Amino acid sequence: MTLLKHELRLIVRSRLSVAALVLLLILSALSVWSGLAEVQRQRDTIGRVITANEQDVARLAKPYEKGGDAGDAAYYTFYTTWDAPSTLAFAALGQRDVAPYVLRIRALGLEAQLYEGETFNPELALPGRFDFAFVLIYLAPLFVVALLHDLVSSERESGRLRLLSAMPGSTRRLWVRRTGLRFGLLFAGLALPFLVGAVLSGAGIVGIGAVAVIVAAYLAFWFAVALWVATRAWTSVANATGLMGAWVILTLVLPTLANVVIARAIPVPQGVDLMLAQRQNVHAAWERPRAETMTKFFKSEPEWKDTPPIKLPFEWKWYFAFHQVGDESVAPQARSYQAGLTARQDWTARLGWLLPGVGAQYALHRLAETDLKAQLAYQDRIRAFHARVRRFYYPYLFEVRPFGSRDFAKRPRFEKAG
Amino acid sequence: MTVVSRIARDEVRFLWRSRVAVLGIVLLVLLTLVAALTAYQRQHMIGIERAGYQAQANAAFDAQPNRHPHRMVHYGHFVFRPISPLAAFDPGIESFTGHTLFLEGHRQNTANFGDVRQSSMLVRFGQLTPAFVLQMLAPLLLIFLGYAMIARERERGTLKVLLAQGVGVRALILGKLLAIVLVEMLVFLPALVALLLIGTTGVGGLVAGYALWLAIWALVIVLVSASSRRSRDALLALFAIWAVSVILVPRIAPDVATDAVRLATRFETDIAIQRDLSAMGDSHNPNDPYFAEFKKTVLAKYGVTRVEDLPVNYKGVLGMEGERMTSALFDRYATHGFDAQERQNGIVGLFSAISPVVALRTLSMTLAGTDLISNRRFLEQAEHYRFNLIQSLNRMQAEKVAYKNDTNPNLENRIDRKNWQNYPSFTFVSEDRQATMKRVWPSLGVLALWLALLTALIVPVSRQLGRSAT
Repeated sequence: MTLLKHELRLIVRSRLSVAALVLLLILSALSVWSGLAEVQRQRDTIGRVITANEQDVARLAKPYEKGGDAGDAAYYTFYTTWDAPSTLAFAALGQRDVAPYVLRIRALGLEAQLYEGETFNPELALPGRFDFAFVLIYLAPLFVVALLHDLVSSERESGRLRLLSAMPGSTRRLWVRRTGLRFGLLFAGLALPFLVGAVLSGAGIVGIGAVAVIVAAYLAFWFAVALWVATRAWTSVANATGLMGAWVILTLVLPTLANVVIARAIPVPQGVDLMLAQRQNVHAAWERPRAETMTKFFKSEPEWKDTPPIKLPFEWKWYFAFHQVGDESVAPQARSYQAGLTARQDWTARLGWLLPGVGAQYALHRLAETDLKAQLAYQDRIRAFHARVRRFYYPYLFEVRPFGSRDFAKRPRFEKAG
Repeated sequence: MTVVSRIARDEVRFLWRSRVAVLGIVLLVLLTLVAALTAYQRQHMIGIERAGYQAQANAAFDAQPNRHPHRMVHYGHFVFRPISPLAAFDPGIESFTGHTLFLEGHRQNTANFGDVRQSSMLVRFGQLTPAFVLQMLAPLLLIFLGYAMIARERERGTLKVLLAQGVGVRALILGKLLAIVLVEMLVFLPALVALLLIGTTGVGGLVAGYALWLAIWALVIVLVSASSRRSRDALLALFAIWAVSVILVPRIAPDVATDAVRLATRFETDIAIQRDLSAMGDSHNPNDPYFAEFKKTVLAKYGVTRVEDLPVNYKGVLGMEGERMTSALFDRYATHGFDAQERQNGIVGLFSAISPVVALRTLSMTLAGTDLISNRRFLEQAEHYRFNLIQSLNRMQAEKVAYKNDTNPNLENRIDRKNWQNYPSFTFVSEDRQATMKRVWPSLGVLALWLALLTALIVPVSRQLGRSAT
């Protein structure tokens, strides 16, 4: 214990080490604070849009007091869906700055609504957010380099190395002590602010533990690299150069190269194609015999098979039916689009086994549920909800029931937990 | 001058002998070449793909059968944002914005299918392009090559010898500077060739901007090397400067800007527009004061008392008025939003006082036509096109479909498709060169100012170096 205290005193005496540790603590705390603030803003926004949409629907519902046409109501009523940030989202904000986490949908064709974007400033999104994941993946290795590059060489350069190895007791233990202490300090500098943030945001013990493991494992990788370099008989300068070179290649060069390769290997033009096809199919319904559309519709909604046929050039039930048929006609494309995106994500995960920075980034964003998969999961929840919205109106449309204010109150709601 | 060039020659020879230095330069040159090739190919493919989609959308529009014009209002049109040629050098926000925009009546949609939403988080590591290499990696290589230039002479005692031989301190610094500038030219060469091959307008500005950027780093490296007691201190200090200015500041600046200027979500904007619209009037309500007044004006204009007697279809006229009202709101809210985004960028721009890379990025994206403002141009032009297209379809409804027929639910009222087949297709007009240059001058000025300030530092640093050496 006294030996450890002694080592700690040595670190405290080195201005570079103290400055590095304090700086890491400050950066980590700042990133956690800024992440928490952003997540709170997103929660506030979700609350705000839910209220705003309720008011909008209330305004819309007013003329329906004496009962109205369900088709009009279905056409004009918007529904709120949202993707609440997880309790770990503050640590890795991920794609939430470029993908919508609130989306308004209505009973019309979903495929034309699902891929809508969000208003964001792309120049601000381009460099990425300053969050805990950034501090860990990009900055933490630099601090490892600062603290470890001269672990052995500084003793050699000051002529103390021989003295140290001549001392009684195992020198091996000395280096273990020194390294362990540095690891502990760096880990604490990163993990303590995270822990405070996680407790504040109410994260579960499993999630916190998993992030701690990621932090420790990622740091351990860089410690291993740094120690390997430090134990070569190189100068401090050569060590620092070599370590920085490794950092640049592992976090700047190889991930960008990999991105090029993955984007090229798995193209995803299905998104645009399906949007063009869906619109084409929906609008072609106006030229198609009404009965043909309805037969297709009844295949997936057999409940309404025996309702009266369409007589007028325009009837709401036919209108909503061809919107659903339009969606169904591009369902295979939607699935293959989603499969393409999932494949991109999966290849990134595999790459994570080779590139620790990518691995840590993948794992953190998966845990925080802020990655592409989380975005797709949100889309799936919207799909399921949209099906409920559609089916809510069908009885009114096919049984020709009037739609009044009380029916507005019965409309389905997106689950709070979602 | 001969002393300066002799020192530069010696330094270059020293680097040439160091295998690590040569390897570093070769690797960076290779990386630039790979980046340039992949970025060029990507730009080329995207260009073909989008042109193909645009042609497909144009053909689909023209191929629509005879229809009621309002059906065409809902059928709408697709436009695809063309990619600028210099996106092969600096794609800027190209991957971060959508490129597929659906134009229809009553609604303003977002441009969708941006790469950033279609990629894993990997895209956030950056994109391998010549701009990325020059902005992020080239300074780091220069640090590796140059940190010890002067500190080494001091550490080994050769500095004293040099000064005793009558080499002036300033000549020494200038000589080392010249050496590193020569290396920079080598590093810059592949990117320069790539730029000249792409060879459109804006290349001159890009070359000037990146040359200033590299020159700034040459000065920083030589100055830090001259004022460090040990070469290791120089190396660590330069790493720290690089990490803060190239990695950290560009990430913190957007967070500050986001905090300072909030953007409304699309959801909120949609609701706000809806609210404003219903405050103005409700076209479905026969007793609505605004539309009652509007009807009166239309009737008075044609000198009739009933809508049935109008020479035009009142439903079409009403459609035009409705579209005019919603589009005015779209424009107002969009302008407000774009202005807020530009204010955010202005805040980020202030950070160029701490880190010149902020100014360089702006300059690079602006000249490459891949910045926020060029995307705004696309969106505004597309909205303009949308409005005119919808209004011309509404006019067809007003002029070609009789009111009596249009209000009969048993009629489809199709009109000849020739009516919209000749409607001109969308073409994006990019900003003229002078306007772009005008936007670039401030960034160029900031970079020049950085260079001037650092150059001015040569005097005190060389004085201090001379004092400490003797």
